[in-house]
Amino acid sequence: MKIGFIGLGIMGRPMALNVLKGGHQLSVWARRAESMAPLLAAGASGAASPAALAADNELVISMVADAPDVTEVLLGESGLAAGMPARGGRGLVAVDMSTIAPAAAKTIAARLAAAGIDFVDAPVSGGEVGAIAGSLSIMAGGSAAAFATARPAFDCMGKNVVHVGASGAGQVAKACNQIITGMGVLAVAEAFNFAAKAGVDPAAVREALLGGFAYSKILENHGQRMLDRNFKPGFKSWMHQKDMNIVMQSAHELGLQLPGAAATAQMFNAMVGSGLGEEDSIAVLKLLERLSGQER
Amino acid sequence: MRVGFIGLGVMGRPMAGHLHAAGHALAVWSRRPETAAPLLAAGASLQATPRELAAACDVVFTMVTAGDDVENLVAGPDGLAAGFAPGGVLIDCSTIAPDAARRVGARLAEVGAHFLDAPVSGGAQGAIDAKLAIMVGGEAAVLAQVRPLLACLGPRIVHVGPQGAGQVAKACNQMIMVAAIEAAAEAMHFAATHGVDCGPVHQALCGGSAGSRVLDIMGARMVERNFAAGIEARLHHKDYGIIEQAAKTQGTPLLLTAQVSQQLNALMQHGWGKDDTSSLLRVLEAKK
Repeated sequence: MKIGFIGLGIMGRPMALNVLKGGHQLSVWARRAESMAPLLAAGASGAASPAALAADNELVISMVADAPDVTEVLLGESGLAAGMPARGGRGLVAVDMSTIAPAAAKTIAARLAAAGIDFVDAPVSGGEVGAIAGSLSIMAGGSAAAFATARPAFDCMGKNVVHVGASGAGQVAKACNQIITGMGVLAVAEAFNFAAKAGVDPAAVREALLGGFAYSKILENHGQRMLDRNFKPGFKSWMHQKDMNIVMQSAHELGLQLPGAAATAQMFNAMVGSGLGEEDSIAVLKLLERLSGQER
Repeated sequence: MRVGFIGLGVMGRPMAGHLHAAGHALAVWSRRPETAAPLLAAGASLQATPRELAAACDVVFTMVTAGDDVENLVAGPDGLAAGFAPGGVLIDCSTIAPDAARRVGARLAEVGAHFLDAPVSGGAQGAIDAKLAIMVGGEAAVLAQVRPLLACLGPRIVHVGPQGAGQVAKACNQMIMVAAIEAAAEAMHFAATHGVDCGPVHQALCGGSAGSRVLDIMGARMVERNFAAGIEARLHHKDYGIIEQAAKTQGTPLLLTAQVSQQLNALMQHGWGKDDTSSLLRVLEAKK
């Protein structure tokens, strides 16, 4: 299949490489031209703008930071929709894999539909490791037909691919994912800090807990990185803060209580405010250590 | 001074009335001109657009709901910015985001007009009694020029800092006030679930170190189960949305505020947004 790819950052680059490895014909665009180099070296072709990707592809995938970026690359002056006249009336499927608000995804879907583009919101979970390994979880919202068109590309990037529901449903699932992972990371960090303050080795605690009901991938993987004091992202704190903010804004609009998520969001606020924004979200452990006079 | 006023709601109408009563020539603009009828009958004039209002006035007040409302009043061919003569002053008494206030200030600076963010505290009663607390952001010289006007609205006028600082102070006000309402609600609910009458508890507490204006007024409403606004809870809910976004922008952890915000979300879900914020008690009582 001829596929276009927009956004070649920490996540986008390995995802695009996996699509290319899957045997698809890939053309790419990135805001910074140098980010395209690894893809061009691997055999992809470069495009001059997102609009230029519209002419010749069946599917265009975007992976950028936030809703304004998605709006810009899909609906901006030289965005994907601006290239639609070159298709002579043929439709196009666009898949956005960024994490944005469900409401924003629905708005973008409606505006793209008016331009003849069938839109799927398909955010991912699994981080950089999952992106490189092609083992992401992909949660999609949109029409069944558009999902079917995108499916071969999804299968190159992820293992657990689920069509969750209509437009916006993928982002709702991702928000749920961020509620659970956000609280999960905080829970593991609090437990480790609690153990340390009580004079017990957190590594031994982790080992003991892995076999029980507190087991989770976060305890296993993030927990190990906390013990290794490896705070390199991974998933930057400011990104997790952004995602928790999407969750809290949606709760505000829905009139919904999310007390646990609300508390967690405040800890991410504190991380960004105290200069930990560029570190992995497991650096919430450092924040807890500061608060408890255990700074290392 | 020639004074203009936009936003003749529960707060705005008495505020505009005080300015008029103090002898200032009052002009108004309203999306729904019928809201202006009492002021027009008292001698105020009606302008056709915000632009014409700005052109006819030295100082314009706005008292509307949201940041978008203020920005829309300022922008566009019929907006305030298109009408102000250089040196004109816009005083926005609405509660909006500090960022939005700074944007409005920047837009007006382009046409040589001045801007003060001047949100108020004291509610409808404070507006009627001209006892509002006014927290001002902007240049001191501009405030000095319009202070006599603000003095018609309330005795407590504090220059907090540059543009946006008034809105920051208002956010602080809302954080403290609504958290106190939630605390009063939890205490009243706690007493009731222990089979103790809230009335005497409230009476006892008002005299002690838990005493506060919120406990006096909102606590009494809880005891009387009088949930008619007062202050419409939906406005506090709106303000909490602003505060949460501002906290995110600056990376400020607001632990208690975030929890109170969740209770306000639930209040909205119950459909009590137009009732008084003392309805936070009913959120705690709600059982399904």
